[in-house]
Amino acid sequence: MTARGHQLPPTRRPVLPTGGREAGSPGILRKKLRFWGLLVALIFLCIGFSLAAPGFATILNMQTIANRSAVPLVLAVGMTFILIHGSIDLSMEGIMGVSSLTFAMTILNSRTDLDFGLFAIVLATLTGAGFGAINGLVVTRLRVPSFMVTLGVWSFSWGVAMLLSGGRPPLIRDQMWRSFGLGKTVGIPNLVVVALVCLAVGYVLQAYTRFGRYSFVIGGGEDLARLSGVPVDKYKVLVFVFSGFLAGLASVMEAARIGVGHSSIGLDQMFATITAVVIGGTPLSGGQGGVIQSAIGVLTLAVLANGMIFIGVSPYLQKAVQGAIVIIAVVGATWHLQERLRVVK
Amino acid sequence: MFKNSLPIIVAGLMLTTSTVALAVCDKSEIRLVNSIREIAQPYHGLVNGGGKQLAAWAGIKSNNYILQLNHGDSAKQLSLMRSLLAINPKCTVFNVEPDTDLVVQSMVDTANETGAWIVTHWGHGGTSHPFDEVNGQWIAHVGVNSFDAGVMVSKVLLDAIGGKGGIVALQGKLDVDPAQKRFAGLQKVLKEYPGVTLLDDQTANWDRSKAFPIVETWLAKYGDKIKGIWAANDDMAFGALEALRAAGLAGKIPVVGVDGTPEAVAAVQKGEMVATASSDGFYQGSIGLAMGMCVLTGQVALPKYWRKEDREFYLRLVLITKDNAAKYLSEPDASDYVKNDWQCDKLFNRNTGPAY
Repeated sequence: MTARGHQLPPTRRPVLPTGGREAGSPGILRKKLRFWGLLVALIFLCIGFSLAAPGFATILNMQTIANRSAVPLVLAVGMTFILIHGSIDLSMEGIMGVSSLTFAMTILNSRTDLDFGLFAIVLATLTGAGFGAINGLVVTRLRVPSFMVTLGVWSFSWGVAMLLSGGRPPLIRDQMWRSFGLGKTVGIPNLVVVALVCLAVGYVLQAYTRFGRYSFVIGGGEDLARLSGVPVDKYKVLVFVFSGFLAGLASVMEAARIGVGHSSIGLDQMFATITAVVIGGTPLSGGQGGVIQSAIGVLTLAVLANGMIFIGVSPYLQKAVQGAIVIIAVVGATWHLQERLRVVK
Repeated sequence: MFKNSLPIIVAGLMLTTSTVALAVCDKSEIRLVNSIREIAQPYHGLVNGGGKQLAAWAGIKSNNYILQLNHGDSAKQLSLMRSLLAINPKCTVFNVEPDTDLVVQSMVDTANETGAWIVTHWGHGGTSHPFDEVNGQWIAHVGVNSFDAGVMVSKVLLDAIGGKGGIVALQGKLDVDPAQKRFAGLQKVLKEYPGVTLLDDQTANWDRSKAFPIVETWLAKYGDKIKGIWAANDDMAFGALEALRAAGLAGKIPVVGVDGTPEAVAAVQKGEMVATASSDGFYQGSIGLAMGMCVLTGQVALPKYWRKEDREFYLRLVLITKDNAAKYLSEPDASDYVKNDWQCDKLFNRNTGPAY
């Protein structure tokens, strides 16, 4: 898959923060500034926490932060593409529930007699992709907004998860997977390695394939994309399948870590993911953004959650502080839109 | 059965003379109902098991033991109750795990109107009590003392670390009553152990996945200053345990939780957790029905003549440590309950004091 086959409308050419070829135009410059802006903010946050709490800047704590980011990063990669499309995926918590149970019940476990080993991962991620396909097909074939469809699928898949769990969450007894989920390779937690691979795959898809280019085109203007002959429906289904697949993978990672398949294993993950992606600089309006920015967004939230424990912010206040910082970040990220409106008026 | 009942009847008659009325139903008419949320959780399996075993022991026909599931729907819990009371309400006993505190009052009102009998568990949240004049059909409310649960497991934890060093605490949802009371239990015990410091407490919303990164962060921040981990429920205790496992510390740093889930009992036996506390679902699923049986067969006086402190009390929690874990690994033996709880003169054996 390469982007060479199709000529894109010049005005809708996707803009990547690291592309640099068109760095002369002011829009690109602004985007670059935004990207580096968040990175600089993240670095300042780290410096601040290090000064306030000496134990913050240790290798052990870097591992902790990385480990905390692993599962959200995998989810954020999928969500980034969804948002670039101008869609939304609210189903990932439910999908994570079903997939984690599929995984935990088909690997060596306390509930069933099945033990498919590695194949359990395939089953779990395919389950996720399957629910993603339902999302995509209903959105494109029945023309229902993704907001409603994925909300329905969230509820549906969560129900299936509860049915599967039957209140007896299967404990994972496969020691190899448990030690993979908890272990490290040359100092890097294994789950972080998996997440980085997902990030790399996401970046390659975004920058070098038709799938990525079309995502920007569709998100920038679906009608225009259709007129230019882009098979919009096909790529919409694909992007939901991709997001579902990653939700499945994320649930397998979380299950390997905590040792159990659970219907609410994805609890509160969806809004955290959307938050991370949006503060990274992928707006809900579609057509812009990228996975690298989302990774910075995920990292920012992880540093914040970790740092607040380090400097001893009261648990009663942490949510409020996190909310305030998210609002500041989003205001910062969308400031340029206000500017543009002012110019037009 | 009910061998020891005669003295009670006599005593009851003597105490209250002619005002005592005994409610008497034929055993074949009596219906025993467990009204609970669902049957999926291990806890609910125990509740149902307790009710079933009691009914069998008391000689109730198996189709007169009824399980009602509301699936987290309070309106359904109430309507299920009402539909059953279309016939023979006066010989029907409800043992209720309320879906929410609020549904209790409506169910009690229904019992008062129809003449059915009701025992409630956990919390009722209202200002109305079983011993109020109007609530003659509300036999009793059996509360669970979250504060005591917190105290019990905290003592085991602080003893396990030898009464000195630092601990960290994982709290439940901060705005929920059991979470606050369990933590208050820990704080009380901490005052008795001046050598122990609470390094930090964070909320993980009762959730295993949320507990994991918090404990990892603590391990990075405090390192080997952490001698023990306290969790307000077993699920968070497992999040902590897995984070310890990742750091190679599972079984080396003692962990406690509350709830007594089967998984936690197994971990206690294995030595990875040092304690959990259980309200004993088997007891909760049977004691209300046992009370109802005693009332309906005339072996005890009508509830309105009972002592006030027997109408609304906290049950005695079971502390599960390595010493007794094996006993709680499988479904409990009904004979223990026959001996200690179900007899009409032993109904209040687990009463630890008033809950109002």
